[in-house]
Amino acid sequence: MELLALQHYLVVGAILFGLGLIGFMTRRNLIVMFLCTELMFQGVAINLIAFSRYWADFRGQTFTIMLLVIAAAEASLALGMVVLLFRQKGTLDAEAWRELRG
Amino acid sequence: MFDLIAVQYSWLIPLLPLVGAVIAGFFGAKLLKQQSHWPIWIGVGLSALLSLSLLLGIADHQAHQPLTNGEYHPAPSDNAISKKWFTWILAGGDSSVYHTYGAEGHDVAKADGTKNPLAPFIVEAGAWIDQLTVVMLAVVTGIGLLITIFAAGYMKGETGYFRFFAYLGLFIFAMVCLVMANNFVMLYLGWEGVGLCSYLLIGYYYEKPAAREAAKKAFLVNRIGDFGFALGIMLTYLAFGTVSYFGNGAGTFTGALELATVTSHMSHFQSQAMAWIPFLLMLGAFGKSAQFPLYVWLPDAMEGPTPVSALIHAATMVTAGVYMIVRCGTLFVGNAPAMTTVAIVGAFTAIFAATIALRQFDLKKVFAYSTISQLGFMFVAVGVLAPVAGIFHLITHAFFKALLFLSSGVVMHAMAGELDMRKFSGLKKMLPKTRWLMLIGCLALSGCPFVSGFFSKDEIVGAAWAHSKPLGAVMLFTAFLTAYYTFRLYFQVFEGPEVLPSAPESADGHSSADSHDHGHHDEHHDHEPAIMVLPLIALAIGALLAGYLNWPGEQLGHFLHNSPSIALSQEVANKTYGDSNVNQVSFGGRETEEHSTNYLMIVSGLIALSGIGLAYQMHLKNRTAPEKLARQFSGITRLLEGKYWVDEVYQNAIVEPIRRLGRAFFMVDQIVINGLVWMLGFIPRACGFTLRQTTQRGYLQGYAATMIFGIAIILMIIFW
Repeated sequence: MELLALQHYLVVGAILFGLGLIGFMTRRNLIVMFLCTELMFQGVAINLIAFSRYWADFRGQTFTIMLLVIAAAEASLALGMVVLLFRQKGTLDAEAWRELRG
Repeated sequence: MFDLIAVQYSWLIPLLPLVGAVIAGFFGAKLLKQQSHWPIWIGVGLSALLSLSLLLGIADHQAHQPLTNGEYHPAPSDNAISKKWFTWILAGGDSSVYHTYGAEGHDVAKADGTKNPLAPFIVEAGAWIDQLTVVMLAVVTGIGLLITIFAAGYMKGETGYFRFFAYLGLFIFAMVCLVMANNFVMLYLGWEGVGLCSYLLIGYYYEKPAAREAAKKAFLVNRIGDFGFALGIMLTYLAFGTVSYFGNGAGTFTGALELATVTSHMSHFQSQAMAWIPFLLMLGAFGKSAQFPLYVWLPDAMEGPTPVSALIHAATMVTAGVYMIVRCGTLFVGNAPAMTTVAIVGAFTAIFAATIALRQFDLKKVFAYSTISQLGFMFVAVGVLAPVAGIFHLITHAFFKALLFLSSGVVMHAMAGELDMRKFSGLKKMLPKTRWLMLIGCLALSGCPFVSGFFSKDEIVGAAWAHSKPLGAVMLFTAFLTAYYTFRLYFQVFEGPEVLPSAPESADGHSSADSHDHGHHDEHHDHEPAIMVLPLIALAIGALLAGYLNWPGEQLGHFLHNSPSIALSQEVANKTYGDSNVNQVSFGGRETEEHSTNYLMIVSGLIALSGIGLAYQMHLKNRTAPEKLARQFSGITRLLEGKYWVDEVYQNAIVEPIRRLGRAFFMVDQIVINGLVWMLGFIPRACGFTLRQTTQRGYLQGYAATMIFGIAIILMIIFW
């Protein structure tokens, strides 16, 4: 019996995902919302690593490395966009962009 | 007779004007411009030549044959030819039967009249060439040619010059189809074709509201008649199983017109149909030939250019109804009520239109009512079993009425579009040639002795008199009115002191009937160019001499008698009314007994002269008299000047109710139908609107929640 079973990792991942979700749903600051999505990303990444260890298979970990790279790229893009949006309206409030609903 | 070149190339007669029309229509606007008359001249000229050679060839052929003595031999394949051009329609039934045996080899309609159930619906486009056809062809193409020549002078400089000639060519094509057809469907094609061209040409000056209205009116009124006509043709097909006139030729009993003579072997349905067919066909004839109550379009049709009035609304198209009844004589003659109806409608129209013409002041309007009246004469002729007299009058009328219309066209040119005869007088100095031509036309129309109209009108009056005395009396009185109103016009316009319209109205941008720039009255301006006068001279010769076609000695009658249509009609008439009650001469047969109507000839001559004399008294010697008389009988004057208010009656009794009905339907359409459609469109829009208001509110959180909710549902569906 290992000290830390699979369930522990999964619970941590779920907590991270949940926190990110709640944060996304409750906050209106664009940067905070963006950070929350990153949080959800990490929850999913932990899941992947946990299963990878559990099955003693490195494909999950390889995949996680890929995921991190993509997340980094996405983060740079998204932050750039947030900056542009901020320049347009002078605020980070997501509500300011409601008119885009069409 | 089969070897006549003109018979072999009979298909060229309608084709050439059509080709001319196509060339003028497609290349006229850019290439030919003011030369657009050439294709029409050449096309119509060649088909006139062919028609003439056909006429002469058949007359020559007949001259070498002993004349049948009032008797019709059932195999006159020598006298009439059904010349097939191509198979036009082949539909339904077992068409392999047709392909194997051809229309000849297979029994389209059985002898007992029941339709072979395997027989397909066959229409073979082709010509029925007999004496009646060639006479009509010669009139249509010959007068057509003269009028197209005149028109080139008359229409000079018009903007739609090519359009005018293209329509004219198309008209002659349709009219030739109508006359040459060997079956009812082709007849109908021509019938509708001339109607279309009439519409197009009446509306030639389409910038003028009156012309547009007149064109529409002509088309709609004709539609009413043509509806009956189409029903008549369908009923004929149902009854006899074929639309062909004489099938493979007279004597073979394969065509509807011949099967109609075999009354003894008819089924119940056929004899019932025979009672109705003439009435339905008659409707078409009344519409096309402007008989009461469908005559109202013809006076308005004078909005068209004058050559059109002459060609279509006097000489050719409007006589199609008379031609059709003579052609389909076997369907009509045996039906006494139908013949009586034709005669009564004709007589009523004749006197009705003649009285209206008494108080018209527009030159063309007078001639329009006179045309209606003269067509009434022709209908009386066919109605009282005198088809030869009807065709005879048709021919003479075509000459003199075309002459009169074209002469009034010359007057109109000289008067800058002014046609009101109260505004000018004594034009004989200004238009010396036209004056003489018009005089010839007027003499012919009034029935002055020894001019063409006298002989033909006299035959009709005689036949009517022999048929029933009151009818004859009405016709005599109408003949008197005709002579009077004709010479009222002549004396007003050409005799007396010279009066010209005060100011050429074209100066103030006036746009009444055909006002082109011919307003300047300088001495050097030629009001009577040769291109207009020469065709008129040809017509005048015809108007003077056409009467001698059938007098003395009934030459035209004997010629026409060899046409199966007329010979068979005579047979039917003899069978129905008894030999002794039918005047064989009026069918072109030999006289069997003395039918002396010679004294009537003298009477009608005197009556015509007295009409002319009265007109001389009232409109030349003492011009104030007619107005005094008009004031004295102001009620009658108003009645006549209001044209019996027939137009107003139509307007209030038919047009307005239909318009109101249309408005009601429009409302129903707007509210019920449009409402339904709007509702159908509204439902998805409402759904969309709700969704937009509930889910698409622009809150990122909301979208995320929806997404999660959706994923949750999908997961639940997968893993539950």
